[in-house]
Amino acid sequence: MTTSILGLFQQPEPAADAMDGLKEAGFELGTFDVLTGTPYPEGAFGEHVPQHRLFRFPAFGAIIGFTLSVFLTSVTQLAYPMVTGGKPILSIFAMLIIMYEMTMLAGVIATVIGIIFESRLPNMKPGIYDTRITEGWIGVVITFDDESKVADAESVLNKAGALEIKHA
Amino acid sequence: MTNEAVAHESDHHAPPPNVAADVVARELVATTTGASGRFKAWTWILGILSVVGIAALIVKFIDQGDDSTKWGYVAAMVSFLLSVAGGAPMVAMAPVMAKANWVRPITRIASLFSFAGIATLIMLIPLVAILPPLVTEGARRRTIWYMAPDYSPHIWSTLGLVLLLLTGIMLFYSAALPDFASMRDHSTGWRQRLGKRLARGWVGTDVQWRTLRMRIGMFGTFYFLILVFVNFLISTDFGQSMVPGWRDAIFPMYHTVSGFQAGVAGVVIALYFSRKYMKLEKYIHLDAFWSLGRLLFALTLLWIYFFYSSFIVFWYGRSMNDIATLDLLIKGPMIYAFFAGMILLWFVPWWILIWNKVRRGTGAMVVGSFVILLGLLIDRIRTFVPAWSVPPENIHQKWLQEIPATVWPDVFDILIMAGGISLVAFTVMMMTRVIPVLSVWQVQEFNLLAKPIRYIKGHATLVAKPD
Amino acid sequence: MQQRRELDQVYTNRKLLNGQLDTPKWWLPTVSILGVVVLIGVVVIATMINKGLGVTGLARPVYWGLFITTFVFWVGISHAGIMISAILRLTQAEWRRPVTRAAELLTVFSLLTALVFPLIHAGRPWRIAYWIMPYDVARGIYPNIRSPLIMDPVAISTYLTGSTLFLYIALLPDLGNLRDRTTGWKNAMYTVLALGWRGNPRQWKMQTVGGILLSALMLPIFVSVHSIVSWDFAIAAAVEGWHSTIFAPYFVIGAVHSGVSAVVTMMALMRWLWKWDDFIRPEHFDALARLLIVVATGWLAFTFLELTFALYGQDAPEIALREMQMFQWPWNALFITFFLTAYLIPVPMWLFKRVRTNIALMFWTSILVNVGMWLERFLIIVPGLARRTPFVYTWEAYRPSPVEWTIFIWSFAWVTFLMLLFSRFFPLVPLFEAKESQVFTDDVMIGRAKVPAIVREAD
Repeated sequence: MTTSILGLFQQPEPAADAMDGLKEAGFELGTFDVLTGTPYPEGAFGEHVPQHRLFRFPAFGAIIGFTLSVFLTSVTQLAYPMVTGGKPILSIFAMLIIMYEMTMLAGVIATVIGIIFESRLPNMKPGIYDTRITEGWIGVVITFDDESKVADAESVLNKAGALEIKHA
Repeated sequence: MTNEAVAHESDHHAPPPNVAADVVARELVATTTGASGRFKAWTWILGILSVVGIAALIVKFIDQGDDSTKWGYVAAMVSFLLSVAGGAPMVAMAPVMAKANWVRPITRIASLFSFAGIATLIMLIPLVAILPPLVTEGARRRTIWYMAPDYSPHIWSTLGLVLLLLTGIMLFYSAALPDFASMRDHSTGWRQRLGKRLARGWVGTDVQWRTLRMRIGMFGTFYFLILVFVNFLISTDFGQSMVPGWRDAIFPMYHTVSGFQAGVAGVVIALYFSRKYMKLEKYIHLDAFWSLGRLLFALTLLWIYFFYSSFIVFWYGRSMNDIATLDLLIKGPMIYAFFAGMILLWFVPWWILIWNKVRRGTGAMVVGSFVILLGLLIDRIRTFVPAWSVPPENIHQKWLQEIPATVWPDVFDILIMAGGISLVAFTVMMMTRVIPVLSVWQVQEFNLLAKPIRYIKGHATLVAKPD
Repeated sequence: MQQRRELDQVYTNRKLLNGQLDTPKWWLPTVSILGVVVLIGVVVIATMINKGLGVTGLARPVYWGLFITTFVFWVGISHAGIMISAILRLTQAEWRRPVTRAAELLTVFSLLTALVFPLIHAGRPWRIAYWIMPYDVARGIYPNIRSPLIMDPVAISTYLTGSTLFLYIALLPDLGNLRDRTTGWKNAMYTVLALGWRGNPRQWKMQTVGGILLSALMLPIFVSVHSIVSWDFAIAAAVEGWHSTIFAPYFVIGAVHSGVSAVVTMMALMRWLWKWDDFIRPEHFDALARLLIVVATGWLAFTFLELTFALYGQDAPEIALREMQMFQWPWNALFITFFLTAYLIPVPMWLFKRVRTNIALMFWTSILVNVGMWLERFLIIVPGLARRTPFVYTWEAYRPSPVEWTIFIWSFAWVTFLMLLFSRFFPLVPLFEAKESQVFTDDVMIGRAKVPAIVREAD
């Protein structure tokens, strides 16, 4: 049974202290996280820096888009071979433009999918949360596999100066 | 999950601490003296090549001065040198425009290229003499000089180039005053005397700094405007207007943009060598390479954009002069040069510079820059050699009815090209003996404005943005 | 320069969400009036489709008139979003922050509006099916991809799709914020739209990295869109004044000029209407005006090249066209107005800091620019068609009909209407950007001087 608690802080410094405290108390990285209403410089809370594979998405999308566009521009022209403007049926320079657009489009769509996926969204059960986080409060959330360590975490949060601790 | 996190955490390291201002001054001034044996050998080689090149130019003028069709390579060289030597100082302009901090330490190296404009000017001299007049036998050829007096292109292009050279030197000098004062204070012998004379009593009062900033801004803006204008003149007068029916409105911009591309590539190369062989790792941060890499990448994409914008209009147009222009410049005598240029100016650099890892390093960046310069040289040959190979008697045709054959370089051309390129490198290298290759005061300013800080628990840099 | 102002987040939320959480008094009347104008426009469009294009002033040889001009105009305006959002994001310009959302929004809505014009101008819009999509597989007839009229919709729909997705991704944190501030059905709506946003480091990292990546991808699309629009004209060798190689970058830089000006107009309105004085500040106008000086002067250089190389060929018809465009009534009046409004009046004014930080003046000059830029498009498109040339057997002067003018006015009402509608449900200034700006800016003391500074993350 997993459970989690959320410590709320009004200032970033005590929240960062809490993160340090949790690390010292032997909590594994990845079992606790910080929630903020605005991005902070990376590593400001000593939080673990998430790894991601976002850059693979546009590449993957672009390859699909390019392949489709090659198919679309060449096959349709060959299927209905009408000469216009004295241009060859397979006019590479005209095809390039469509191919370019479709490649970019697929790249963008894949990136957006990538951003949502790598943000681990959509997440309709986001877990413990507090609406004051979007008002500038900082939340430190800890997830437990066994409940025996809840007290440890609470003491760390309290020591760092948590204004409130929520349980879920 | 946890392993990944731990592995990545160690990536977060503090930026190197700033170097004290007096150390900066002493160390950078010291770079002007004590050249290594390798440095001396290279300056000798380049110096000799430059002299041989200039001699070849003179001999060629005496030997082939009456046949304009043989001067394509020299014209390509003028355009190439204008691109590199003229484009590079633009990097020195960037802080004025964008207030970017990374560029401060490296503006000097960029503005040293201004002096290389002398090479462009030398190459231009015989070309001006050979450029056909506007009016022959009562008929006026198509140029941008509709009703202007005869010999307008000859006069204005030369004046433009001279003006560019002077403005470039003024831009350099106005930013170099405090460094000449550093030379005066920290150097010995002729360098100290030179510093004393050129520093013009610089002590760094508030008024002096204000005037300095104003001068840099002013000459920078002038330089930019003149550069664009000279690119416009040289590319039309010494390129486009040599071919009947070649009407390409974008060509001057294409020429300018690829000039910037080459300029940035030139700066990257100069930075790489000075960083490596003058041991300036402390001052030339990888951040500068990263930013230059992004700039170079953007310019590489602009090149293909400008090229394609022009090409597609000719390709669709299919009028007689559209077809003739494509035949002359792309499909015909220069087809291999065209493909080589395309690969070297766009495809290879694009593929190299697209990687963030590459832009954060130096090795692949310098390779990419060399590729770009080679590509640009080929691309300039691709446009200027066929333009000059059109016989002057055909210049009044409505469009080019007969596509000339490929013109290959002769011995003179090869010597001239080698000499021109050597002269640029030689000039820049010699200038590093006269003044520190990195601007002392701008390195100090860089350190003053950017400070490594602790941000809560993380590392960051705090960059001040004064007005 | 950026003046740091300490704003606490509760205040930021309350101020910037004032359009969503409580409706301003002027909102409903304004939207209603605009709604009426939109409705009139729709009726006129329907009538035109019913009666045919005879109700317009379009006649041989001028078939591309007000509609296509306005189409190009709105595509141009759409270049605001990516210019501001992508380029300024990539160059880490701090002052972009309050502007990005509005600019992206302008992109989306102006593209939606632009798309209407080629459709209705075709006379029988349903026939578009054969022209673009869906592919008519049954009869084996496929669109001609060699035609820019196919490339154009492909590019515009790519840009529209990309911009909309970009807008949505950047909206996620603010949707989370709205979810936290609302109750009832609104809360349910924002909960679904926010996709479960919490604001952990992973999600924020995706916002920054993803934002940069999307910017880098949108940038080449942005350049291609107006280039392809320009090729609708430039590849046609038959019409004088169109067949110029410079058209692509010329259109793009012109679009940036008008788009960024439109953003200035919008920002002034936003500041006045929603009272966002703390967020949209004179220094933002100052920065935009500086950018505009550079863009406008670049645009002027392209205009110069375009003209120079039009005359360069020394072809009699081309010279005659330019003479008509610049010196013959009524074109000369339009030309002078265009030049004055697009460059000669606003740019010299922007050279003064007092003008750049005066919001009312910025508002009016930015409107002037767009008057000029609309005229520019008109002067590019129509005179080349209108000039009497050999072998044209019928010839009529083009005078836009009231129907065309109504639809033209409708387009402005429609874009504003959409904007206001959007503002009722979503914040026009990105809240998280405003807050991020608070986190990432600081003052440093250099000697006794307090200098604004920006925190840059270490590698």
